[in-house]
Amino acid sequence: MIWRFAHRWLGLVAGTLALVLSITGTLLALDPLNNAIQAAPTEPDMPVATLVQRVQATVPGAEEIRRQPSGAIVVYAFEDGQARALRVAPADGRVLGSYQPSLLPRWVKNLHRALLLDDPGRVAAAVVALAMLALSVSGLVLLLRRMGGWRRLAGPVRGTLAQRLHVLAGRVVLAVLALSAVAALYMSAATFGLVQLDAEAEPEVASSPNGQASLPAGQLPLLQALHVQDLRKLNVPAADDPQDIWSIVTVQGQGWVDRYSGQTLAWHDTTTAQRVHDWALLLHTGDGAWAWAVVLGAMGASIPLFWVTGVLLWWQARRSRPAIEGNSPLAQADSLIFVASESGSTWGFAQALHTALAAAGHRVHTTALEHWHVPPAARHVYVLAATYGEGQAPAHAARALDVIAHQPVTSAQVAVLGFGDRQFPAFCAFAEALEQTLLAQGWNPLLALERIHQQSAQEFARWGQSLAQALGQPLSLAYQPRLPRTAALTLVSRQDFAGGAGEPAAILRFALPGRGLPRFVAGDLLGIVPPGDQPVPRYYSLASGTRDGFVEICVRRMPGGVCSNYLHGLQPGDSAQAFIRPNPGFALHGSRQPVLLIGAGTGVAPLAGFIRGNARRRPMHLYYGTRDPARDFYFGEELQAWQAEGRLADLHTTFSRTPDGGGYVQDSLRRDAARVRDLLARGAVVRVCGSRPMAQGVAQVLDEILDGLGLSVARLKQRERYAEDLF
Amino acid sequence: MSTRFLLTTVAAACALALPAMAQSRPVTLSTTLKDYGGDGAYLAVYLTDAKGAYVRTLWVAGGKAKYYKHLADWNRLSAGDAKRLNGVTGASVGAGRTLKVTAELADALIDAGYEIRIDAAAEDMRDSPAEIRVPLTATGAGKPQAGKQYIQSFTYQLQ
Repeated sequence: MIWRFAHRWLGLVAGTLALVLSITGTLLALDPLNNAIQAAPTEPDMPVATLVQRVQATVPGAEEIRRQPSGAIVVYAFEDGQARALRVAPADGRVLGSYQPSLLPRWVKNLHRALLLDDPGRVAAAVVALAMLALSVSGLVLLLRRMGGWRRLAGPVRGTLAQRLHVLAGRVVLAVLALSAVAALYMSAATFGLVQLDAEAEPEVASSPNGQASLPAGQLPLLQALHVQDLRKLNVPAADDPQDIWSIVTVQGQGWVDRYSGQTLAWHDTTTAQRVHDWALLLHTGDGAWAWAVVLGAMGASIPLFWVTGVLLWWQARRSRPAIEGNSPLAQADSLIFVASESGSTWGFAQALHTALAAAGHRVHTTALEHWHVPPAARHVYVLAATYGEGQAPAHAARALDVIAHQPVTSAQVAVLGFGDRQFPAFCAFAEALEQTLLAQGWNPLLALERIHQQSAQEFARWGQSLAQALGQPLSLAYQPRLPRTAALTLVSRQDFAGGAGEPAAILRFALPGRGLPRFVAGDLLGIVPPGDQPVPRYYSLASGTRDGFVEICVRRMPGGVCSNYLHGLQPGDSAQAFIRPNPGFALHGSRQPVLLIGAGTGVAPLAGFIRGNARRRPMHLYYGTRDPARDFYFGEELQAWQAEGRLADLHTTFSRTPDGGGYVQDSLRRDAARVRDLLARGAVVRVCGSRPMAQGVAQVLDEILDGLGLSVARLKQRERYAEDLF
Repeated sequence: MSTRFLLTTVAAACALALPAMAQSRPVTLSTTLKDYGGDGAYLAVYLTDAKGAYVRTLWVAGGKAKYYKHLADWNRLSAGDAKRLNGVTGASVGAGRTLKVTAELADALIDAGYEIRIDAAAEDMRDSPAEIRVPLTATGAGKPQAGKQYIQSFTYQLQ
């Protein structure tokens, strides 16, 4: 958790300053490109002496010659009382033009490295570089944790758009960012004198006049021995100072030469610190390596993206983990409530329990299950745990069992309360596993495990009565469901079907409200809040996305179902309160892989949505099972139209209640085994939507088909190629 | 080499010893920079004797030792003077700005072949050793002198 905490707060605080550095950094990356364009080629191993002779022939007043990292030769001269900086072709000394150090005004660079504040700004910029390094390291740790280790680092990324962008960009940019930050820190250290770049003081040297004229550059052995490609800077002795000397700086070191004798008066090798500094400069600025400058520029441009998506992630997490009102400090609390929640709804129950216990005089501390820690003062420990998917822990509490097993057992009493849905075979399986772990470890039970079905406030209140008895004090648990902000959706049309199993069904199309509904895609869920005192939302898979311009679901009326009966009673013009719940694991992400869609009954709705939105004509293959074409062939006409348009590659229907209808959808998969195997071998992505028994039947047939490929449905799920949306 | 070093040492010793025995006076050094369109310039203002040997540093503008090598002549000539920075450093001088400092000089140094020299450098621009070289004379006082690259005018006033 410390990594997430560090990453989040460093990102929010230092990240804001990093925006300034990234934008200016991206601009500065243009300079190396410009320099590379302007550089004229140098022949390999050309002696510096040759270059000096050529330059002196064309620029008589040359005083200093520099070779830029890009290879450009710049000559500084003093002619006719004017100081000049000229670009010169090394091949013949021809003057190419005047030299401009940068395309950008000076302040851009000063903003980048010192925030225009001189030394205090340099310190701030260095602190930001350090923060960027820490962000890269913590980001890598979080990335590895999310992806499940180094070997799965390159795997597909799931989650909301913000999560995907943050993780995808992070995978690419992280190493470059870390490298650039390290280089920046080294450069800062050199600027502040923490790293000594020169080993020794400058030698006290001077030319000794011997009555002869100065030697021409061509007769100086040092200048003959050194090559232009290694040159950094050469100073020509001034004509009016008889004691002046030649001084030259190259990659290898720095030398001083007597202008009369041509003797090398002193030579200092380049220090390791200076070599490292040269590398740091190259890595951080990209000067002299234009391709790297492009990479650096792209990295700089990605930082605003990181910042925006990071802030969004933080905000989303904040909203889904409600702040508990009146939380006592952990060490002083006598009652602890630990929460494992997939969608955030279990936190509402936790708040109700928290409030009731606090009203009864307890000091209560509520936190997420992964923070499991029971101090000695705690007398009662409550665990409120939802179950995710096939009996797994919610994502944030994935390692909770491990954490609990490694913490000492105290004399506190524990009660586990499970939340789930009885339609799932693994109803409250994670809560059961939690209770078993706790009891096996030796914790004293306060109450036996209780299971709450579909967030029932009544069942929760009943559990509260048992708890009141166990504690020997009155307690009233009042749970108010926490609903997301809803929008009113107006029904524009409905398409009615007789339905396959005696109850009718309808495709309901609502107008897209002007505002109040976030962006959504086919496969996300529409939460409908039926009117009533204690409304419990019901979720329906969306058969449309925002881009389609309407909100469409397919609803079968359930006997005694509050929400489905309410929806079936709606007429065009009526409206319903609704909200979006993203379903990122199920929605399709952009790629060119073929898609195998398998659905039955109203489960075809999100699949129809995928096909409707398939403007890029990705190959989609639909296996669709219903009972009777006359009664429950939802989207039948539309599917044929989409196939004609090329949005749907092929359609395989089965009708289980008509003679020669082909049986169930899994039967048609089995008949098409060769085709299906070929699709899966080519990397097809699979989406299954419908009832649980259907999904089990489909998985069984696919496992048989996949056996020949050395694959299985479980493996495909692991690789995030197979997802189900079941009811 | 060794003769030259000896001369420098003697000269420096004289310069340091003289003020205690003879008359000395404050000299105001005023340096105005051109609008050369770059970062603040590093300047080294120093004194050389009639033979061109380093005598003492009068002022160094710019605080980061990392950049002193760009004031090449001064850096080389003053390498043996461990106290070259004692009490004579300040911030770098922005383009278009004026640096005004005062140094205490012995009367014996005036009209005796001594020279005031200034090395100048700015980041990403050329180094300009010997940007200014003016004889230290009573008649030269108050006469502005232009530099090669960075300095608009340099004036010294004897008081």
